[in-house]
Amino acid sequence: MTIDYSAMLYDPVYAEIGVPAVFTVVGADTGAEITVIDDTRPKLLPTGSSAGAEVQSVGPGAFVRIPELTAKGIARADYGDAVLAFNGRSWIVRSWELRGSPNGEDFGEVRFSLKAGAVG
Amino acid sequence: MADVREDILARLLEVVASIPNIRSAQRNNVEIPEDQLPAAIVFDGDEETNDASDLSMRPPNRPTMVRMHPEIVIAQQADEAGSDLSGLRRELIKRVITDTALNETIVKTGRFGNGAIRYLGCQTDLGWGRSLQGALRAQFMFKYALKIEDL
Repeated sequence: MTIDYSAMLYDPVYAEIGVPAVFTVVGADTGAEITVIDDTRPKLLPTGSSAGAEVQSVGPGAFVRIPELTAKGIARADYGDAVLAFNGRSWIVRSWELRGSPNGEDFGEVRFSLKAGAVG
Repeated sequence: MADVREDILARLLEVVASIPNIRSAQRNNVEIPEDQLPAAIVFDGDEETNDASDLSMRPPNRPTMVRMHPEIVIAQQADEAGSDLSGLRRELIKRVITDTALNETIVKTGRFGNGAIRYLGCQTDLGWGRSLQGALRAQFMFKYALKIEDL
């Protein structure tokens, strides 16, 4: 019997540590309400200096269940440059990485790599 | 007391701090918070001489020529890091090479005015943080007389 990893693994995890978010694709007036796992982490960016100097920043990111996106009518072609708002901040999707599932990639997660909006 | 090396490094910090739009100028800081970008950091350079091959009877306290290679890092973040970084590079090279105080400091150290300032080159590094961040590190060479009696 095939195990449904969405029901047995992802859904309970998202119910526990997920946060509400709004995903707005480019050109849309309103966004879709989804649940994400905030995966924003500290990030050190090397400058290449011989002294090893680094810029201390953060790498904003979020996990989302692909079945949830699909159910809301959001396809992979819609990921790029979409606005993802959660935990009081609003980000732009700059790239993404598919995380497969034993049930197939369409039933796994996607990790969005995010960026800030306009930078002064 | 006169320490040409320190005079050069201290002046370099003033020069990079004068580059337009630089928010933070520091010396030898290896942990740069993103809030301080665009930042310029002056790193003390290694010194070298040709004295290892000098087998003459020259007294050890006689002046000798030294070459120092300080490194300057400029880090910034932008929607599309690139031309901004190029602009900062232009200002950096121009201001260091043409700085009157640096040139006078260097030239006056040599008996025959044989000090020198050279731009050696630069390298770039890019990476994503909260936004696209670009870093440029430039190397310069300062040649000057090390006068032991003046230290």
